[in-house]
Amino acid sequence: MQEQAPDTPVQNSEPAPLRPVRHLELKAALLLLFTGLLIAAAVLYLLYARGVFEATQKLVLTTDDSEGVVVGMDMTFSGFPIGRVRRVELGEAGNVRILIDVTSKDAHWLRTSSVFTLVRGLVGGTAIRAYSGVLTDPSLPDGAERGALRGDATAELPRVLSSAKEVLENLSAMTAQDAALRNSLEQLKLVTARLAGPRGGLAAIFGNDADAQKLVAALDRTNALLARVDTLAAKADTQVFGPEGVMKEARATVVQLNGLLAETRQSLKKLDAVLVEAQGIGADVRGATGDLGALRSDVEANLRKIEGLINELNRKWPFARDTEVKLP
Amino acid sequence: MAYHLAMSILSSSAQRLSRAGRAPIRWLTGWGHIIFFGATVLVLAMTPSSYARPTREALMRHIYVDTAPILPWFTTLCALLTLVITRIVVVTAYSYGLSQYALEMVIRVLVLELIPLTAAMFVALRCTIPNGAALAEMRRLGHFDTLRSRGQDPVVTQVLPRALAGIFATLTLAALSCVVALVLAYLAVYGATAAGLGPYTHVFGHVFNPAVSLIFVIKTLCFSLAVSVIPMASGLYDLEGDGSRESAALQGLVRMFAVLLLLEAASLAGNYS
Repeated sequence: MQEQAPDTPVQNSEPAPLRPVRHLELKAALLLLFTGLLIAAAVLYLLYARGVFEATQKLVLTTDDSEGVVVGMDMTFSGFPIGRVRRVELGEAGNVRILIDVTSKDAHWLRTSSVFTLVRGLVGGTAIRAYSGVLTDPSLPDGAERGALRGDATAELPRVLSSAKEVLENLSAMTAQDAALRNSLEQLKLVTARLAGPRGGLAAIFGNDADAQKLVAALDRTNALLARVDTLAAKADTQVFGPEGVMKEARATVVQLNGLLAETRQSLKKLDAVLVEAQGIGADVRGATGDLGALRSDVEANLRKIEGLINELNRKWPFARDTEVKLP
Repeated sequence: MAYHLAMSILSSSAQRLSRAGRAPIRWLTGWGHIIFFGATVLVLAMTPSSYARPTREALMRHIYVDTAPILPWFTTLCALLTLVITRIVVVTAYSYGLSQYALEMVIRVLVLELIPLTAAMFVALRCTIPNGAALAEMRRLGHFDTLRSRGQDPVVTQVLPRALAGIFATLTLAALSCVVALVLAYLAVYGATAAGLGPYTHVFGHVFNPAVSLIFVIKTLCFSLAVSVIPMASGLYDLEGDGSRESAALQGLVRMFAVLLLLEAASLAGNYS
């Protein structure tokens, strides 16, 4: 049997350098050191990335549903992660307590008036967000407990689906075999077919050819009538405006009428004068009527005197029973 | 004549049946040998007396020879793989408007899953399977008996250094290529600027939560053990086959791939279930 050192490569089957390696131990030690440093650096970076070397403060968010909340998820402020969920637990009152580690260097963004939301989007997981409206408010203390408002985009899905279902049902009803829309479309098709027919729109409007034919006949007769009217108008024009037409006589009549009107105007002026005189007579009559009043009052005074005289006579004539005074 | 023919057919059939019946037992015995060998190597590795001068020298030599030559090539290969996959993932994520998930996906796919597996397979194909084959050859040629006659335990002086070197090579390659992949993924996403360090570190910390980190470490260690122990055990014991170098290499390869597949499946189940 061929003698071979046990620690040398066996028939080139295992990896080995072509010639002996110089400073093998040193190189091996350096390789070990390199690997050790690499792994140590990786571990340190992992610890740093996990926030082990960062000071944190605790924040407790309470909500009624922990769905979508997992340990390790971020809490963001304006899109920047400032905290990380450390634990999710059930509280004594049955609510959910979400324990969050907020890095101390970012804790100043959280104020006592900050609002925390737990939003579940259609795509992606649940997100915890913090909003600080008034940055001048006091800072949130360590271990503070706040309520988180829930917003669930998927909660709207059933309503949307229900609405979509209604729309689809309506659409299905509209496109059914005996649906009004289908009937209307069929009628429209009939109308358009009639429109494209020999009588066109008339047949579509009247619904049958007979009535459309009547209308056409009526139009023909109207045309004939219009022709006759046209002839009549020509004749009337000759009669009225022709050389022997009515218009000429009418013009002469108007001239005569103007003369008549002038005469009438003069007659009216005379009548005016008569009226003025009548007015004077009326004034005189009014004066005479005033004199009549004075006369009447004189007569009434005389009558009272006569009545007084008769009464005196009756007193002085004791036997006379008849007191009636007979006037002449 | 006919009798002899019938008897020979019956005899061969009986032998075939007997061989078929023994196959599961041989299979189980093989796994038993592998587990026993793995335990032996671990115990020897943790025993200070194992590191006598011959073992130490062999260990140093194997650590350097098994790791250093393949380190640059494997790192280059990983860098190329990282660049290609990062580019594909980032461009696809941007086109779907999901760019915020691109970096996380790159880290998960590359660092968590692909690179440790690739490192383990690279070490297996380049170092440990040839080492296992060499052990089978040495055993077949009677070197182990020679060593025993000199008062040396071949498992301690020949097998342990190769197994430990395989473990070390897997860990080194995985660690270095993970670091290279992380750096290249950062450069591919953010470019040559330090502005993205904060968000990148945050995403890294977000991906590597304690459970995922633990699974990653355990998986990488198991990978390194699998690629080191199984080929060595195949070379050291006649698990199946005729004990030749090629047979040992093939057995080691098949069993090792099966174990790597199981480990990867278990890791995926642990990470994403």
